[in-house]
Amino acid sequence: MDPSARERLDGLVSRGIAYQQRYEFIDDLKWPDGARIAVNFTADFDAMLYRRILNEPALQLAKGEFGGRVGIWRLIELFDSHDIKATIFTPGRICELYPQALRHAVASGHELADHMWEHRVPREAALEADHLQKALTALSAIRGKPISGSRSGHTNSLLKQSGIFYNSHAPAGHLPYYIADRAGKNTLLNLPFHYAIDDAQFYTFGWLGSDSPAQRMSDPDRVLEMWWAAFLQQYNEGGYLNVCLHPYVSGRALRIEMLDQFIRRMKKLPGVWFSTCEETATYCLKHFPARRLTS
Amino acid sequence: MPWKTNYTISDEISLSDKDIVWPDDNRCCFNVVVDLSLASGPEGLVASDLATTDAVFAMGDGLAGILDVLASHKLVATFAVPAAMVKIYPKSVETVLKQGHEVAAEGLFHEDVSQLSLEDERARVKAATAILSEFIGSRPAGWYDLPRRNDKFAVGSISPSTTKLLAEEGYTYMGNCPADDAPHYSVTDFATASAILAMPYYYHFDDQFFMLYPRQGSGLENPDILFRNWRAEFVAQYKRGRFFNMTLHPGNAGWCNRLYLLDEFLGFVRSQPNVWNAVSRDCANYWISKYPPATHLKLEPSIWKDYPGSLS
Repeated sequence: MDPSARERLDGLVSRGIAYQQRYEFIDDLKWPDGARIAVNFTADFDAMLYRRILNEPALQLAKGEFGGRVGIWRLIELFDSHDIKATIFTPGRICELYPQALRHAVASGHELADHMWEHRVPREAALEADHLQKALTALSAIRGKPISGSRSGHTNSLLKQSGIFYNSHAPAGHLPYYIADRAGKNTLLNLPFHYAIDDAQFYTFGWLGSDSPAQRMSDPDRVLEMWWAAFLQQYNEGGYLNVCLHPYVSGRALRIEMLDQFIRRMKKLPGVWFSTCEETATYCLKHFPARRLTS
Repeated sequence: MPWKTNYTISDEISLSDKDIVWPDDNRCCFNVVVDLSLASGPEGLVASDLATTDAVFAMGDGLAGILDVLASHKLVATFAVPAAMVKIYPKSVETVLKQGHEVAAEGLFHEDVSQLSLEDERARVKAATAILSEFIGSRPAGWYDLPRRNDKFAVGSISPSTTKLLAEEGYTYMGNCPADDAPHYSVTDFATASAILAMPYYYHFDDQFFMLYPRQGSGLENPDILFRNWRAEFVAQYKRGRFFNMTLHPGNAGWCNRLYLLDEFLGFVRSQPNVWNAVSRDCANYWISKYPPATHLKLEPSIWKDYPGSLS
């Protein structure tokens, strides 16, 4: 092997192995009371905020406004009708735009969790800490107790210092898993969500800055079958499903109907544990704590 | 709200389903909008939009097909018409009017007004209104700026001044706003709680995004997806007792395979009892008298705080 190839191989091995070591999976995970699957319904309540961050035009913001005026109320009503407690990942700023909806969600027993202050994580460490602190202060004031979880790219150390004990950010596996930071420390539990189980992929135009030829707008029948396949596969595996919804997307009447059908189908099967992310995380941390990534 | 300038256009909570009633004990308002524009991009109508076989089809067979299907189901629609189109296709617009449909404004050229200066936008609004008023014989009640096929976003456009200019010109409603799925108020001046009525629009019920979108040759022909969206939304909104809007383009929905599905969908709607088919003008007038802004626009002062390093 020539020296440059050797150097390249050594670099790949050390980087690849170091990265793998940041993850710890739970091999023997069993859900409480013999449940066959844990299902977490989650809502990312960014309304018009993310579109504002991207400097999108006025009616794009109004598209997001639907989520605050209409969609969030319909999702809460849907979950309440099924006695399901959901987790609402909320940018702190939303407390200044839709406080009534958030108070209603809390009164109905849903979990408020962090989704960044303004739907972005600043690069500067001091400002990042400032943003997270602002978000947690605003959200915990409405929740009436501390915030437990986040859906964000905030650094693990900052989240842990702030009392956050889980993230719900990326899908390195189907089941909840542990992830450490680059230094192998500040391990957090992650509740995986996947873009395939995210309403915005199928229903929202221009998601994540995608351009016109990339649009593949779908319909509720098709998405229901896709998500039902996801549920059944995980149900048979004793697994986990995190359903990521956006109030401005899934709060549309046709999709509320589809979610109602989805929940009804799930409820026909025994052993489905509908829980909040906080309940899921608390259970995993208590009964299946990290064994290797303990710092 | 808590109101927040440049973030919100309306109040904090929508009118709930149980508070919405329609005339004559109808349980749902059914509203069809036909976009009679040939503009392909944000600049609005340009010569190359007109000199195409697609334009000839849209304003010929396509429009005739849409009008026939609407007539066969005894349905009326609101046609959003750029003022320039009444000069280019006067006979077509005349036919639309004669069949009892509403003609609303869609700019002078169906241009993206957010790209104009305030003076230019005001002049365009006045010019478009004058041309359409003369043609219709009365002032248009509504103003649309629907998305064009080559727009970056699928929502249409307004400038920061549009709704205020429309109110000044005496418009009853602004035609396309995605902040609700029932008519709602778009605030023109927070200090005086002034507002103009906004009619709902949502691109999942607009044919252009499902029919060889974004362009011919893409093979992305999905009228079945559109049909299922129409049907699912209508069923859901009918159950809620709310409002349904669909947006058609004669050049899209007027082509045979799509016209077939449109006919089937409209037949389904017609098979449901107690559906109020209203043009946007009639729906807007009803809404404003039943739910006037003085009692139904619930604005609350902003509680937003500005911080260094945060959005303002």
